[in-house]
Amino acid sequence: MSRVSLLLVSVLLVWSCSAPGESNPEVHFTVPANFPEPVYAFERNPMTSAGVELGKALFNEPLLSRDNSFSCAECHSQPYGFTHHGHDVSHGIDNLKGTRNSLSLQNLAWESSFFWDGGVGDLDFVPIAPITNAVELGETTKNVLDKLRATKKYPLLFKKAFGSEEITTERFLKAFSQFMVTLVSAHSRYDKFVRNEGETLTPEEQAGLKLFEQKCSSCHQGALFTDHSFRNNGLFVQGVKDEGRAKVTELEKDKYTFRVPSLRNVAVTGPYMHDGRFYTLEAVLDHYAEGVQDTQNLDPVLRQKPGLGIALTLQERQQIVAFLKTLTDEEFLKNKRFAAE
Amino acid sequence: MKFHSFLFINFLIISGILSSCTKENPTPVTEGDSNDVILEFDNRVGAQKLVLGETLYQTGTGESFTVSTFNYFVSNVSLKKTDGSNIKFPDQYFLIRQADNNSWEPVLKNVPAGDYQEITFTIGVDSTKSVSPVGERKGVLDEGSYGDDGMYWSWNSGYIFLKLEGTSPAAPANGAGIRRFQMHVGGFGGMTSATINNLRTVTLPFPQNQLATVRKTVAPTIHVIANLQKIFSGKTTVKIADTPAIHMPAAAVPLANNYVHMFTVDHTHNE
Ligand code: HEC
Ligand code: HEC
Repeated sequence: MSRVSLLLVSVLLVWSCSAPGESNPEVHFTVPANFPEPVYAFERNPMTSAGVELGKALFNEPLLSRDNSFSCAECHSQPYGFTHHGHDVSHGIDNLKGTRNSLSLQNLAWESSFFWDGGVGDLDFVPIAPITNAVELGETTKNVLDKLRATKKYPLLFKKAFGSEEITTERFLKAFSQFMVTLVSAHSRYDKFVRNEGETLTPEEQAGLKLFEQKCSSCHQGALFTDHSFRNNGLFVQGVKDEGRAKVTELEKDKYTFRVPSLRNVAVTGPYMHDGRFYTLEAVLDHYAEGVQDTQNLDPVLRQKPGLGIALTLQERQQIVAFLKTLTDEEFLKNKRFAAE
Repeated sequence: MKFHSFLFINFLIISGILSSCTKENPTPVTEGDSNDVILEFDNRVGAQKLVLGETLYQTGTGESFTVSTFNYFVSNVSLKKTDGSNIKFPDQYFLIRQADNNSWEPVLKNVPAGDYQEITFTIGVDSTKSVSPVGERKGVLDEGSYGDDGMYWSWNSGYIFLKLEGTSPAAPANGAGIRRFQMHVGGFGGMTSATINNLRTVTLPFPQNQLATVRKTVAPTIHVIANLQKIFSGKTTVKIADTPAIHMPAAAVPLANNYVHMFTVDHTHNE
């Protein structure tokens, strides 16, 4: 447990982000005690209540799609950890299917690359991808901005957030980030347990935590449950044969590697993996124990036992699944602050 | 009589143009003076003017094609004086779009008075700018300004340095029976790991006796011809039939290596 106590002593950082002159300064973003320091460049995008509100409105705004039918929130739904519930690969405008499973939106201020392949390196630029993707929102940023300018509502919201009614790409994207970085999940039973906030874990859950730290945390590391690296966890190369990180870098060494996803709220973010191939956590554990394939660039960690993968008895798999369920953060999933008005 | 005066006026105009192109004794340089330098990008296909739409052109290998879109970024311009010193214009990005004649003649402001003999520029958007914060992406770098004629790859956060699109009988027909080809070149070298870098820099000495003489009252124009035929043949042969759709940096390398040979300075005007 030494790692946990180390996390506990890490400083509580508070970003006081209110605009000058705001009478009742509100804290919009706090670093949980068991989290490392965030990487998002807050100094370039000072947060205000009006900015966060604008970002939330945009996130739920169907004008962002070509036929004004579809918003970000359709594929990133709060009760399911901001994923596209029940879809292996996301369906967008005109019910067109993508090839990737929607990622959960949480703790984004700690990420330095986005999407399964890390194609975008700055949260501020993320919204452009779904807006302009033909199978997601199918629009152009220019049209979206023009549509927003033509409304009564948005020039006023931009004025509240940025001081004038002007709607620019920069303001639009910064408002999005202001909202998205507020999506911090740090109140799961696990968090309260490691922060000594009076929470206990059952013996089964504690056994699962121990096993997880031995067998999974080299990749799903630390308080965020990811080391932010790109790895091949031995999935069978199937379907569209997604090359993952190599799609962006075109490098052999990156073929079939994907960003190690966080496992926070994982019990509600199924189906799992970049293409949503596993419907249950049990199926994921079976994969690590029995299904790991020797494909190009398979991670060395999964080569250590004969027959590949991670040695796990059936009982151990159950214990790990029990532990993973302690990562569900009801406060986060139900927080009204994040929900559309 | 009428006919004669018409000819005479024509003669006056033509000789006026000729003399201004070859001004022989520019006034001496006064320290501290400056003026604009206009870069005129004149896009052509071989010896023909580039006109978007129906006109059929030929590549060096005899594939015929039309052009619907031709855009490219020019950045990091520097001008070399006759004394060998360089004047740089960092943080200025120009997007030449054949569809918009207002974009063909970007202006360098506050160029120090002097005699210039050579221009260098980058085709594309350098890596520093390609990873810069959104607040530093204004004007032609603003993704929200492009509309349907995008110059940005959202999936790898990079600009499209050069875009050539059109139709060609050598390209396969799509569902609607249209034979489109699309050549998009980008790739700034990667955010974290080193990836394909298709940034190319060209240096173009001005032709003999053609200096750009910047003076308090002289704002020269540097007339650059871009021969897009060279995209198919500048260094190696690229056939539309083989690669009708290029959308990734690695596949675009031959195009970038070809189009560095696309530019020439035809002449300068000192007016
Ligand atoms: C059609 C469904 C769909 C829509 C609409 C959609 N997304 Fe996504 N989103 C996805 C999918 C699928 C992924 C994962 C894609 C990938 O990695 O290639 C994703 C990934 C993301 C990520 C990356 C998370 C991470 O940890 O890397 C962010 C942030 C995000 N979306 C925000 C948005 C915003 C903002 C909007 C609205 C402008 C939006 N999404 C609209 C499906 C959608
Ligand atoms: C070698 C690094 C590595 C190890 C060890 C590892 N994982 Fe993963 N894990 C990954 C990667 C990479 C992905 C994403 C793969 C993809 O989608 O292609 C992933 C995906 C997952 C997912 C799916 C998450 C989602 O949102 O879709 C779960 C659940 C998971 N891992 C649990 C575990 C458990 C439990 C263990 C230990 C038994 C473990 N992992 C060990 C690298 C690893």
